Amino acid sequence: MEKVQLGGKDIEIDEDGFIQDPDAWDESVARDLAKTEGVDDMTDEHWKVVNYLREYYLEYNMAPMIRKVCKTTGFKLKEIYDLFPSGPAKGACKVAGLPKPTGCV
Amino acid sequence: METQTIAAKRDEIATPARRAFPYHVLEKPGDNLVDRFLEAFAWVLEYTDYKPLLDSYCRSTAKCNRCAVACPILLASGDPRDIPCYRTNLLLDTYRRYFTMGGWVKARFTTPFELTEELLYEMGDVFYRCTVCRRCTRSCPLGFDHGLITRLGRYLLSLVGIVPKALQVSVQEQLEGETHNTSKVSRAGLLDVLSFLSEEMEESLGVKLDFPTDETDRDYVFFCAVSDYLMEPDTLMGNAAVLYAAGDWDRWTIGLCNYDGINYGLFYSDWHLEQIIKRLVAEVDRLKGRSVLIGECGHASRAAHDFIPTFMGQRAPPVRNFMEYTLDCLRAGKISLDPDVVTERVTYHDPCNLARSGWIVDQPREILRSFCRDYVDMTPKGADNYCCGGGGGLVSIDELHDFRMEIAGKVKAEQIARTGADIVVAPCANCKKQLKELVEHYEIPCTVVGLHDLVLRAIEIPGGKSPVERRAEAALFAI
Repeated sequence: MEKVQLGGKDIEIDEDGFIQDPDAWDESVARDLAKTEGVDDMTDEHWKVVNYLREYYLEYNMAPMIRKVCKTTGFKLKEIYDLFPSGPAKGACKVAGLPKPTGCV
Repeated sequence: METQTIAAKRDEIATPARRAFPYHVLEKPGDNLVDRFLEAFAWVLEYTDYKPLLDSYCRSTAKCNRCAVACPILLASGDPRDIPCYRTNLLLDTYRRYFTMGGWVKARFTTPFELTEELLYEMGDVFYRCTVCRRCTRSCPLGFDHGLITRLGRYLLSLVGIVPKALQVSVQEQLEGETHNTSKVSRAGLLDVLSFLSEEMEESLGVKLDFPTDETDRDYVFFCAVSDYLMEPDTLMGNAAVLYAAGDWDRWTIGLCNYDGINYGLFYSDWHLEQIIKRLVAEVDRLKGRSVLIGECGHASRAAHDFIPTFMGQRAPPVRNFMEYTLDCLRAGKISLDPDVVTERVTYHDPCNLARSGWIVDQPREILRSFCRDYVDMTPKGADNYCCGGGGGLVSIDELHDFRMEIAGKVKAEQIARTGADIVVAPCANCKKQLKELVEHYEIPCTVVGLHDLVLRAIEIPGGKSPVERRAEAALFAI
């Protein structure tokens, strides 16, 4: 596994840029991860999605159902794609420090 | 930066340390690859039934290339390595040379075929350029099952450590992980998803239903592709709506120890296929369930339907795909579907794992024609359908995305565009994901949904809101 500088820390990432240790995540790590996803400026709207994913992950140890993300944050699916171009599973979850989705996701 | 000569560059790329596959692997394959591969081959021949099959194929290997016109990948790529016969022969040549008397004798008198690391790397590439759709099998005059050879090739490669990481980590989680499923859906998470779906159904359908979990002594134990619990709320609510409307709400359950129908063993490893099947049946036994009901997933349905009897023999519980169940309910008049709510043009994509054998071809069409006003078929269809381009596990391998779009799915994309459909029904988690990416990539103006997503729109719910009323509300609160 490769180590890169994220938020001023040396952090291990996989081939697709997902961080390996969820505990290494903090807001400055998220900002740097966002840059790898083509999001240079994390707005309040980005944080709303990321914070929800993060909270859900800490409680259930997985990402929430996509429909639930939409309902809870009030964004339509298309708006989430506008915020994170590679989508909720691959883009937003990466910024929120979740592991890479596996299986048919 | 140092400038390299082309020759030096070529030497560098050719060194074993630099060789690479088009997908990530957990660990680079170690030394003595050829010897280890032949050892694995010998082991498989000893402990499985592949030998008579390979003997028969070796005697009749044709190189007529009729399969070439059947393969959608070859049609798009034009790469001769994608000819099914070529790929199959990589493995048959190896078998002939090292495991048959004729090959042994021939090697004494002529320049023998020799298995090299280069050839193994090529196998690692071409066996994952095939989506195992088995369309070529139908055009082979000798009935060669090239899909089976692809599976065997992948199995042998996996035994020497050549297997896409995406498939391997999913299977590891399913067999050894805490969650026992490919998408790491935790039990608490599943319960949260189900209560969320329950709220959604109350809001949209007007009936309050609690999903039955871990109930014993039920007729149907439900397994979907576990990814549906993250991605496909409408498919799941459609499934639930049929069970409720048909009066079967107290006849089914979702097990809490194993709720994943996915079986990637079908794609690369017979050994894993068997272990996953046994886990699934163990869950049905634990719950004293009477049959297995598989949700909208092609390979999960085929794995369970074809291989539960193989591995469980007399103890095999019956297996049904959800569309078969829905059609039975429709024919028996237990559910009714409103023909006035789905007015868009609808077409149906046959998942290869359901249709190639002719198992599920007409059933979904009968359901769709009963309530979709403007239903059109693709050409070709049914057992001759084209693969979505993401079959055989390819859809789960992100790094093959460009290959899936530009080559493997190209013929399918053209086929979809020709129908002019607004809605493509694809009752398979694999196909759905691939087709959603495909229509976006080729900018085809249509949406891809599951069959039960449409059923959910049209089904009459006893004591709930009518389909027309629901359609009006949905238009107001579209997500």
